Amino acid sequence: MNPRATARPPQRARWQRVLLSAWVRPVLLVILLLVVWDLAIRLFHIPPYLIPSPWSVVRQLVSEWPRLLKESIPTTYATLGGFAMSIAFGIPMALVIAYSRTVESFVYPLLVFSQSVPKIAIAPLFVVWFGFGIVPKVIAAFMLGFFPIVVSTVMGFKSVDPDMLDLARSMKASRLATFARISLPQALPSIFAGLKVSITLAVVGAVVGEFVGSNSGIGYLLQIANGNFDLPLMFAALTVLSAIGVVLFVAIDVVERLMIPWHASQRHDVALAA
Amino acid sequence: MFKRLTCIAAAALLALAASPVFAQGKEKVVLLLNWYVYSEHAPFFLGKERGYFDQEGIDLDIQEGRGSGVTVQAVAAGTATFGYADVATMIKAASKGAPVTAVGVALQTSPMSVMGFAEKNIRKPADIKGKTVAVTPGDSMSQVWPLFLKKTGLKDSDFKTVSGDAQTKLNAVMTGQADLLLGYVMDQAIKLQDATHKDIYPIRFADYGVNMVSSGIIVQKDYLKAHPDVVKRFLRAATRSLEEAAKNPDAAVDAMLKANPKSGVKETALVGMKNTASLYHGPDNPKDRPLRVGATNMDETLALLVEYGGLEKASAGKASDYYTNDFLP
Repeated sequence: MNPRATARPPQRARWQRVLLSAWVRPVLLVILLLVVWDLAIRLFHIPPYLIPSPWSVVRQLVSEWPRLLKESIPTTYATLGGFAMSIAFGIPMALVIAYSRTVESFVYPLLVFSQSVPKIAIAPLFVVWFGFGIVPKVIAAFMLGFFPIVVSTVMGFKSVDPDMLDLARSMKASRLATFARISLPQALPSIFAGLKVSITLAVVGAVVGEFVGSNSGIGYLLQIANGNFDLPLMFAALTVLSAIGVVLFVAIDVVERLMIPWHASQRHDVALAA
Repeated sequence: MFKRLTCIAAAALLALAASPVFAQGKEKVVLLLNWYVYSEHAPFFLGKERGYFDQEGIDLDIQEGRGSGVTVQAVAAGTATFGYADVATMIKAASKGAPVTAVGVALQTSPMSVMGFAEKNIRKPADIKGKTVAVTPGDSMSQVWPLFLKKTGLKDSDFKTVSGDAQTKLNAVMTGQADLLLGYVMDQAIKLQDATHKDIYPIRFADYGVNMVSSGIIVQKDYLKAHPDVVKRFLRAATRSLEEAAKNPDAAVDAMLKANPKSGVKETALVGMKNTASLYHGPDNPKDRPLRVGATNMDETLALLVEYGGLEKASAGKASDYYTNDFLP
């Protein structure tokens, strides 16, 4: 056998490796979907006033880019505001629920009940209560983003290994130390799962808020595009909106990797990189 | 036993043979409205109740809509036979390729207005200065608004604007977040009055030289080609309905409230119906039967849309591309 071949294990060709890298794969899928979209429009003769062609959306995305960028700023602010509020209220509330059966029995059912109220139905009232500024949008984002954080945080704290807690107790660890060394680290993966769901929902909430009453933002732009039958602009705005969601999601993913590099969910990435 | 079976079979056959005749006699037709039912739609309920559509061999099913844009798309896609929608909105969709045309224009004078509580004493455009106006971005009124401002010498900086959806506009005026809203004289004005029991004063765009046709009956072009007869019969019944409703608004509102008890309150719906009927004629054809629109009126509407309504000049074409009076009685 050739010694060089054993030194370098048989590897796929370089283009194959590039093709299969984690960044390229979703892009490939997007391209595939665009092709299918375009083909569907051509094959079934779908008129542009029902579904625009991908090409016209891309053109609109390029020509309207400055405006889209400008309008995406208030939407991002509202999303982040709602998300921050979700964390500020969601995690403490989840802690109390996880550690107190009494609170849980009082609050949890009501929380689930409130979550089933369609936000779009009460969103007009937010404008009545809080005016036309950023507040109603932040509240709408909060209403959607809050629940997943609570649910997954409660689950995280409840599924801490009881043997570990016993061990800490037997070693006379203080309650704070037990929390900081055992409960919190073990709950973090669940909390992050909740945060990720929450941020994508917060984007939706912000736009719901903008739809109902707002002088700026992607939701405002969507309304104008809708009124003019400008479907390419509408789809372009939706693309930008989704991009905001993806960027924020990835940001949380990065924070997660930094905070819990030891967790099982992070390990396969190491294997992939190797 | 066998005999009975043959009997049933024979009856079934008879029924089968009879059904196409029956179907031919009664054409099932869906009229998709532009919005939830309110006074503007009362004539169709009157026509249905009085049997005008039955007499034309039309089995009319009136369905509520969620905005003119959606109605136009549904008619273009063949989901609804007829649509009752804002003709200006239809023109915009048609210029983007939607195969629809207006076969009758109901509101030929614009119902658009800027309105607020009468107690605020905003009665002429100059009074708008320093006030707050609620608009819905992208809707037909918000697009014609700049022309109204131009005609009345107002500037954007003369007043404050807040934007929101249809419900938010109403809420904003009711709660005092805004002094005025852009709305239709027979729609938002009535809703505000119903909710607050206060008088509303609308400043009509049409009174300041801004006229544009509004709601009309639209149909898919292919359907028009394939079933000209049904369209003619439908429009005969619709014309009678509008005429009768204009003469007898009381009966029209009763018919609507009977079919749709939630669609309004008798007294204010009656005002709404009367206001609607006052818009049935344009400035250029005061004597025509309802639904028959004047050519000048349509030309002006198209010109306005090109200049202010976001319609591209290149794809606009001419007014006659978007409407026809040929199927009216």
